[in-house]
Amino acid sequence: MDRVDKVPAIKLTGLKKRYGSGDAAVDALKGVDMTIWPGEVVGLVGPSGSGKSTLLKCLGAVIEPTGGRMELAGDVIYEDGWKIPDLRALRRDRIGFVFQAPYLIPFLNVTDNVALLPMLAGIDNKAARQRALELLTALDVQHRAGAQVSQLSGGEQQRVAIARSLANHAPIILADEPTAPLDSERALTVMHILNELAREYQTAIIVVTHDEKIIPTFKRIYHIRDGKTHEETGEGRPI
Amino acid sequence: MINLASRDVLHGWGKFLFTGVGLGLLIGATLTMGGVFRGMVDDGQVLIDNSGADLWVVQQGTLGPYAEPSSLRDDVWRGIAGIAGVAETGNAAYLTIQMAHNGKDTRVMIVGIEVDRPNRPGAPPYLIAGRPILQGHYEAIADERAGLKLGERVTIRRHDYTVVGLTRRMVSSSGDPMIFVPLKDAQEIQFLKDNDALLNERARTAANPAFNRPGVPGLLEAAQASATQARSVNTVLVRLTPGADPATVANEIQRWKRFTAYTKAQMEDILIAKLIATSAKQIGMFLVILAIVTAAIVAFIIYTMTLAKVREIAVLKLIGAKNRIIAGMILQQALALGVIGFLVGRIAAGLWGPAFPKYVLLLPGDAVAGFAIVLTICALASSVAIRAALAIDPAEAIGG
Repeated sequence: MDRVDKVPAIKLTGLKKRYGSGDAAVDALKGVDMTIWPGEVVGLVGPSGSGKSTLLKCLGAVIEPTGGRMELAGDVIYEDGWKIPDLRALRRDRIGFVFQAPYLIPFLNVTDNVALLPMLAGIDNKAARQRALELLTALDVQHRAGAQVSQLSGGEQQRVAIARSLANHAPIILADEPTAPLDSERALTVMHILNELAREYQTAIIVVTHDEKIIPTFKRIYHIRDGKTHEETGEGRPI
Repeated sequence: MINLASRDVLHGWGKFLFTGVGLGLLIGATLTMGGVFRGMVDDGQVLIDNSGADLWVVQQGTLGPYAEPSSLRDDVWRGIAGIAGVAETGNAAYLTIQMAHNGKDTRVMIVGIEVDRPNRPGAPPYLIAGRPILQGHYEAIADERAGLKLGERVTIRRHDYTVVGLTRRMVSSSGDPMIFVPLKDAQEIQFLKDNDALLNERARTAANPAFNRPGVPGLLEAAQASATQARSVNTVLVRLTPGADPATVANEIQRWKRFTAYTKAQMEDILIAKLIATSAKQIGMFLVILAIVTAAIVAFIIYTMTLAKVREIAVLKLIGAKNRIIAGMILQQALALGVIGFLVGRIAAGLWGPAFPKYVLLLPGDAVAGFAIVLTICALASSVAIRAALAIDPAEAIGG
């Protein structure tokens, strides 16, 4: 992979997060360095309480770091405070989320769950639904386009959630244990889909996981321990 | 943009509708309370209007004849009839009694009217069946709510009366149906003592030496005869000539005849502002409490509905939905609940209103005002849920 001319999708430099203050202060992140390139699917693993979720929340602009620097696609997002005034618009337009459970909106059908994101960005309903159908087709759930969420299987719901995360052409997807509720076969299918999508749309995907069976699917893995990341070289790691 | 509120409502429409119906019954009770108050005011108004009078002449210093007892001699009308501006007078006697009919007690207002010619002030202005009273005794016209039928005989105190006419919306200020009888009968009903009391009174009078003076023959008989005469009325109803000023004529009557005379406006003030003032305050308090309870229930329902969607709202916020979209969803649902509740409440009040023993008047203007108040309450009540929703942390959508 030639990265000389590319801008990292995510670049973290010494990112810190401290909860509380004084004697009660807890340093969840103690200076995280991380670089993720467009089209990469990177694993983020670590024991409970190691700071995985905190890192994911900082990357998702849901909580504010307390130090360091965060860049998304070359734009400085955080450095001594947020550099973007509208964090919701940042999340809507540039970050896709896939959760452990699909967390689809139960009162919307499959198509509208995916189309909601572009609609929130101001895309007209017809174009948004067209985009949703394209993504549902890409994820092989187009036949459930008109179904209610409750009528889908767990695997189908997770695919719809992935389609939603891609609906606004987000350059970054943050996936929080997306395979946890799935069996091995479906978990590997989801990872295969994520890798395909990353390659096709040049999306950078960070997958937080405990799931041993999907570890071999990552080219690179960041281990997080005691609030710091340690990169495991993975150039030779099989996909 | 998808309307999230309507989608959410349609997703669980049965639960939403059921909640709306429950709220509607509460709103229906509130509207009915308002209708009861309006009915009380209307009862007072029709009492005034149906009397056909422009002035009420009553015992000096009293608020009679409806709010306080008032007693006048039944010949004072002669002096009043001679005052400039007076077109016609009519003696009237009012008495509320408990009447036994068909094995149950009915509270009615007996109205004594002069029956020498039709359309005297005090007579019912229209009949829905039968004819006016033509005989000087023992005929009656009844309001239909008294439950009497044409030709039926009914016992009032000592005598039986034949119902010769039926009328409608002739009620006292308390909503009791009226029964019109000839004035002489009403005077007896109101003022004449029973036989035992008369015998007792005669014995007492006979034992009094002042009535048995040897030099004054016939004094005792005259005194005893006066005890069996009922020559009082409660008011003289006065109809004015066209163009006569009621206040001027009332002043003339008060100045020269030493009675109190009330104009229609003053009588409305007595009946509506004074007589039902306490009841109105009572109902007003009840309405305020019901409004507060409604607001609390709407707030609780919307708050509960919102808390049931914490995860969805967190996801919406995480994927970039603006606060106004989330607030709009909650507000629209609260208003939809209010609309359903109001419609159910208005229909319910219309259905059960006629079953109330007293008149329930549901005015279109009150319905419009009620609708606006319900929507305002729903909007205000939703603010609690909106605050809760906007406080939801989008991080709740992410584990850990």
